Amino acid sequence: MERQGGGVILGLSLAGLVVVVALPIFFVVLQAVFPHLTDSSFAAPFSAFATALADPRLPELFGNTLMLGLGVAAGCLLLALPLAVLRGMTDLPWGGLWDLLLLIPFMIPPYIGAFAWVLTLQPSGYSTQLLGFDAGAFLFSLPGIVVVMTLHLFPVVYFALSRTLAMIGRRFADVGRVSGASPFYAFWRITLPLSLPGLAASLLLVFALTIEEYGTPSALGKRSQFLVLVTSIEEKFAEWPIDLPGAAVLSLGLVVLALAAFLLQNWIATRRSYVAVSGKHGQMAMIELGRWRWAAVAFCAVVAGFAVVLPVGAVVLTAFSETLSGGLSWANMGLRHFESVFANETGAMDALVNSLWLAGVAAVGAGLLGSLAAYVTVRSQMRGRGLVDGLSILPNALPGMVIAVGLILAWNRSWWPFPVYNTPIVLLLAYICLLLPYPVRYVGAGLRQVGASLDAAARVSGAGMGRTMWKVLLPLIAPNLFVAMLLVFAIASRELVASIMLAPSGMPTVATYVFNQFSQGSPGEGMALSVLAIFSSTAILVALGALYKKTER
Amino acid sequence: MIRTTLGLALAATLFTAGAAGAQQITVYTAGPAGLAKNLAAGFEKKTGTKVSVFQATTGQIMARLAAEKANPQADVLISASWDTAVDMKAQDQLLAYESPNAKTVPAALKDKYYVAQGAAALAMIWNPKSGKPKPTDWSDLAKPAYKDAVTMPDPASSGSAYGMVSGLVSHPSYGWKTFEALKANGMIVPGANAQALNPVMQGAKAAVMGGVDYISLGAKAKGEAIEVIYPSSGTVLESRPAMILKTTKHVAESKQFMDYLLSDEGQKLVADTYLLPARTDVAAKRPGWKEIKLLDVGESTAQKRNETLAKFKTTMGLK
Repeated sequence: MERQGGGVILGLSLAGLVVVVALPIFFVVLQAVFPHLTDSSFAAPFSAFATALADPRLPELFGNTLMLGLGVAAGCLLLALPLAVLRGMTDLPWGGLWDLLLLIPFMIPPYIGAFAWVLTLQPSGYSTQLLGFDAGAFLFSLPGIVVVMTLHLFPVVYFALSRTLAMIGRRFADVGRVSGASPFYAFWRITLPLSLPGLAASLLLVFALTIEEYGTPSALGKRSQFLVLVTSIEEKFAEWPIDLPGAAVLSLGLVVLALAAFLLQNWIATRRSYVAVSGKHGQMAMIELGRWRWAAVAFCAVVAGFAVVLPVGAVVLTAFSETLSGGLSWANMGLRHFESVFANETGAMDALVNSLWLAGVAAVGAGLLGSLAAYVTVRSQMRGRGLVDGLSILPNALPGMVIAVGLILAWNRSWWPFPVYNTPIVLLLAYICLLLPYPVRYVGAGLRQVGASLDAAARVSGAGMGRTMWKVLLPLIAPNLFVAMLLVFAIASRELVASIMLAPSGMPTVATYVFNQFSQGSPGEGMALSVLAIFSSTAILVALGALYKKTER
Repeated sequence: MIRTTLGLALAATLFTAGAAGAQQITVYTAGPAGLAKNLAAGFEKKTGTKVSVFQATTGQIMARLAAEKANPQADVLISASWDTAVDMKAQDQLLAYESPNAKTVPAALKDKYYVAQGAAALAMIWNPKSGKPKPTDWSDLAKPAYKDAVTMPDPASSGSAYGMVSGLVSHPSYGWKTFEALKANGMIVPGANAQALNPVMQGAKAAVMGGVDYISLGAKAKGEAIEVIYPSSGTVLESRPAMILKTTKHVAESKQFMDYLLSDEGQKLVADTYLLPARTDVAAKRPGWKEIKLLDVGESTAQKRNETLAKFKTTMGLK
């Protein structure tokens, strides 16, 4: 009985992962090995490797990519750790508000966020117009890129860590305190080590997201000649003549980097047990901040100010500015760009509707597949679970562009019995593939803290495999799963790079629309749709969150 | 999972059914944004054939075509870079077609296999609020007044900027020394056209060297304080070729679409975007064939392109 149930879950998750992840990656590898694959020829195998590896820029590309990834991961840790401790372990006022605010960075498309920073900090930008200073030299440098990307990505760590800390609760720390440890010592030796799997998993996500991210490095890095692997891959894709094999080879380089990070994270997460919940949730006692309350609130407010208010403010200002050259003045404010967006002359509203439903379906799909994969990885001892684990994190290492090409190569074949390519399905496959690591990591971190003794207890009491998952495990991991699905929704609703390559003709998404408006010199309309997209997806998430809280009670 | 699968299967069936219905052609096109949509709507109204549009930058379109080679999707391609048409013809990927409507298109802008839909000229885009003197020729931007105040689109990502570079460097009175002087004067190359234009619109920089003119003319018409200046010694025209792919399964409809592009109606839609219509007998909403002085530019080849781009990189200190 148990074997069977486990086998079904393993089979389902493997089948899902093969279709969603392995297939496109397999075709990318094929393309790297056989440069003439697109001509349906297997001639000259491995010749693209020699060309790509002979590129004298290669060491620099790898070095820069590594520096950027580590820098942003370190920045996220510094910023998110104190926030998560405040949120997860103390009676910090307005906890829900901070959660909501810190979800917003996910909904700002990276290239729009970077553009907002440019508009704010470049000479004659908004900071010059309002405060009389600019920081262009800083912005267009490695530290500038690290800061902008950190402010965009630290919520990944914040959400994972604050949930994990809350789950561990203070019970363990209290035991330590009773045994005579100081509060700091108890945190350092008990709570923090127990939260390591969640922390390591989220830092891995940040690292992987950083090295595959295209928007920010290309918008900010080009001027200081700070090139990374992904900008170089994009060059090979988008600059005529197109070099698909070269791009595929470089992508494999990215995969190697991400796999190395994955192995490190895996080693941290599995070298010992982190089980913290072996029974019913205890009533959690929060640390009372006392007179430090308002200092803590001020800290959160400053972080939210830089991560949310400032970039969103720049986006909103630009959307309401009749012209960019007119600057910030009342005379220059107006609704023209919004009128044009609502009139749907250039298809803005179609794009918004498309993006919202695609993101919704992707969130459900990624949530289901991700939970199954996480369950197999964490709970089962079956052979094949390592494969499931590896496959589920792999997409994180691949730039969206590469997944997109893999999907085209795989699905744009006349021998499929039904069309996938050039339909919305291929976009959904891309989103689920790219965003699968979120549910896998978040749910996995949650499962690691739920003792297997709970499953056993349920089984002994006569519950079957499915019932155990549904009645015992699901409620316990639901907070993590829910957050992960929200993230998938938020990111899918504004994904750019894969969308550009895969959007079926005649089906614009928010990101492709905005990008086109930008490249046609109409940033105002692009920003107006961005404002609508950011606020509508936030509203949907808030509504879902409220609904979820209600059903939880 | 099961529900998703069912949903996907259902969606797939719906899409197959949809595609099998009315006649449809697929057009891959570079910007401007509204134009493709208007052309598609006009063509459908006229012929009943639906047009499915994929619009992106020329680079993204070419990448998609390359990845789709195993099972091509596009019927008609409109690129923003003349070279792509020349190259695709050389690779035998195009279907020969000469539209009867192309009679008044200048000979240099048509071939048996492709024809310009319209053209854009390269210009200096100047922000009058910048406090810098109004430039009149390319060389002004290398003068001390423009120290650290100039941007230029990257010719590697902007086909039109490449046209300008290859034109200027092969011209006796310019050559590479022009770009060396611009580099010494602190000119930056921040990316494609929009990335070069935005700093100038906001005032971070004063002028674009070789911005594509129709985008700026459009922005100016919407009230942006920028001026489009055609250099006195001459500039380069970047024509936007339209072509039918050899792999099309809709030959008749694709030819009809080419005819429509070059019809009075189609060309008027082109003119509305501030592009120069390819047909000389259709009125332009902007400086036209007679007003812009052109530099004499030789044919470009893929080999020459790679060399020029490499030389540009080293000259500008790009990696």
